[in-house]
Amino acid sequence: MKSPTKLNLREIVVMASISVVFGVLYLGWIFLGQIVQGVTGPVGHGLMTGFWIMASIVCAYIIRKPGVALIAEMIAAGTEILVGSVSAGSVLILGFTQGLGAELALALFLYRSYRLPVLMLSGMFGTLANFITIYFMYGYSQYSSVITGAMLGAMLLSGAFLAGWGSKAIADSLSRTGVLDNFTLGKVRRQQRMEKNALSQD
Amino acid sequence: MLDRYQRNSHFLQQVNPTLKLASLLMVIFFMVMVFDPLTPLILLMITIAGVSILGGISLRFLLMILLPFSVFAFSFIWINVVFPDERGETILFTIGGLAVAKENLMVGLSLGLRSLVFASWSLLFVLTTEPTKLMLSLIQHCKLPPRFGYGMMAAYRFLPLFRQELKQVRAAHRIRGLGEAWGLGARLTETKRYMIPLMASAIRKAERVAIAMESKGFDGSRDRSFYYVVPWTRNDAAYAVGLGVLYGGLVLLRAQSGG
Repeated sequence: MKSPTKLNLREIVVMASISVVFGVLYLGWIFLGQIVQGVTGPVGHGLMTGFWIMASIVCAYIIRKPGVALIAEMIAAGTEILVGSVSAGSVLILGFTQGLGAELALALFLYRSYRLPVLMLSGMFGTLANFITIYFMYGYSQYSSVITGAMLGAMLLSGAFLAGWGSKAIADSLSRTGVLDNFTLGKVRRQQRMEKNALSQD
Repeated sequence: MLDRYQRNSHFLQQVNPTLKLASLLMVIFFMVMVFDPLTPLILLMITIAGVSILGGISLRFLLMILLPFSVFAFSFIWINVVFPDERGETILFTIGGLAVAKENLMVGLSLGLRSLVFASWSLLFVLTTEPTKLMLSLIQHCKLPPRFGYGMMAAYRFLPLFRQELKQVRAAHRIRGLGEAWGLGARLTETKRYMIPLMASAIRKAERVAIAMESKGFDGSRDRSFYYVVPWTRNDAAYAVGLGVLYGGLVLLRAQSGG
């Protein structure tokens, strides 16, 4: 803990391994998503997009330092490429923009607040960035605005609930196992517990 | 399977991963401007031929991967026919009262083919690039900080361990009578049940590895030596020239056909 904002090696490796796990899950999700898109079109697919922002938010919520959301998402994207994804190119660009979106929301709060609404906003920014990217990359400008609008709505919803709320739930249950005690989230939790105990003793 | 392709000594495998990565991004930026079906079709054919000849990858294997992907590609066609931005004028035929216009069909075809082009270039990259070589190349040529590069490689090495761990967790749950999941809903709750123990052990392992790396003197600084050096060679120049010719030709072709 030499400097408060620079990442140390322990945090990097832990972040990388969380992101690697998510990267593998993303791959399965892409496969599922492509089938869903093939059958229901982009709106049904939009509801699934939030899942792809999870690595960002889980890591940022645990480590709470600038840059974590972006880097985590890039690592997850990198994993998908290393494992062998058919969508390597788009995954790489999407990973960057999704991470950037999620990062931006956290930066707006100066990396000080990690409460649920902020995380949900971060998820929505992430999916919004995702939307803008695929809008150009896959030529969605050729569709009627009704369908792109519905798709955007579905994606934002998914970003808020799946990415924001879902990631917080995962990170919180991880912290209950005690493995995060050396990280910011674990320390915050311990602080809260101690304050609560002090209160109940009074 | 993947491993064998990544390691054989054809031309594409010899090209510097950084350059291949750049070419992968290039094709995406090039295709963004294209809305006719002919250009992506030509590019797709050339890419598939290139990957199978220059990368030594069997055509059957390539098509087998691309086939399921075309379900996704097909969605672009039907969505463009049913929900177009503006309906075209040349009506080809009608299905149940829905007029299918030629213009919309063509744009849909173009977008579908575009996604297949992305997929084929992704395969070009993925099937011919060794993960370790990619990371080393990024560290040596792209100024990726070694702390991130090696940290990521360490985490990537956990992947086979995760599979083993998953088996263990599953066995442990089963021995306690949680049984096996049938159906989609049960599968989902099952995944949730596996996720936390898997990630908890991943975090524990990662912490230990980081401490081990630091105790062996890894400080993540840039002035270090490398056992494997990923050099720039004549192959890279050839690859770059090939890309130039390919895109030059495509741009010329598009200018000629007025598209």
